[in-house]
Amino acid sequence: MVWIALTLLAFALGVVVQLRARSPLANPTLLATLLVAAALLLSGVPYATYLGHVKPLTSLLAPAIVALAVPLYRLRALLARQWRSLIIGGLSGTLAGVATDALLSRALNLGQDAQRSLLTAPATSPVALQLAQFTGAPPALAATLAVLSGLVGALLLPGFLSVIGVKHPLARGLAIGAVAHGVGTARAREEGELTGAASSIGMGLAALIVTLTVAGLGSR
Amino acid sequence: MTAAASITASLPAPVRFVLGLGILVGFAAAGQALVTVTRLPLPGSVVGLALLWAALGLGVVRLHWLSDAADGLLGILGLLFVPATVGFIGYLSAGAAWGLWLLVMTAGLLVGSAVAGLLASRLLRPGG
Repeated sequence: MVWIALTLLAFALGVVVQLRARSPLANPTLLATLLVAAALLLSGVPYATYLGHVKPLTSLLAPAIVALAVPLYRLRALLARQWRSLIIGGLSGTLAGVATDALLSRALNLGQDAQRSLLTAPATSPVALQLAQFTGAPPALAATLAVLSGLVGALLLPGFLSVIGVKHPLARGLAIGAVAHGVGTARAREEGELTGAASSIGMGLAALIVTLTVAGLGSR
Repeated sequence: MTAAASITASLPAPVRFVLGLGILVGFAAAGQALVTVTRLPLPGSVVGLALLWAALGLGVVRLHWLSDAADGLLGILGLLFVPATVGFIGYLSAGAAWGLWLLVMTAGLLVGSAVAGLLASRLLRPGG
């Protein structure tokens, strides 16, 4: 129970900090992650124990992802009009992300485990977890890198997209969701409902394309 | 249908929230069940999202039954990922390797989102 309280309070503190400091580093998920991680390391409580304690909280994640259907449905007319841009953009972006991860990790000669885990990082962590059996990656590392990819994406991508001149909320949301999935979508929603809806489309397409890519490579 | 609409519309807000939450959890369970049966390598929640979207489109589920619950949950979406992101502490022993992992990951993020964002911007149909 204490760990649930700590997680909730750390996130609330993160939101307060975000409202005060106008910095992209003041991301509530990042701040809560660091605070909870510090508390676990200081108290010596194993991560598995923490995960067991906060189960009521994590059990809300699946219905929350399902809830993304609501903004998608509200904006259905617009999304139906722009489906070409969404599908082509989302699929190409995810594919480019996966290819970059694969080629660069090979070029840098990273360990097998990391190479295989990075391959699924642009997909949401349940996908990464399930694909680990095909890629031969350690499931926990694949899932961790996938979630962190979302976190890093949530921090960097909004600013990066502005720099390269991607202004339209649909294109911004799609670009974030295509590689930074759930955590990125949570961040994209801060820009508005349209950005968030496009991001959840990007997330869904990424889940599909990463699955197909891994299956298509015949794995290992 | 009009009778059902008037009954659900007159429900007190907290009850409507519970109704909506029940529907969302139900679709999450349905998505999970479908994934388990078909052995699709997709997350049950994303399949549940697609099922709910279809149900809304077909009029089987009404938007006002679950909009309160959906908006509530989506408002704290970032919180629900915290238990998962904390998992990075299990790999602290990888030490310096993290630098390279993050470098590769960041490159993938930037290239992927640039391709998606620029391509989508170019393909957008004018007028919205």
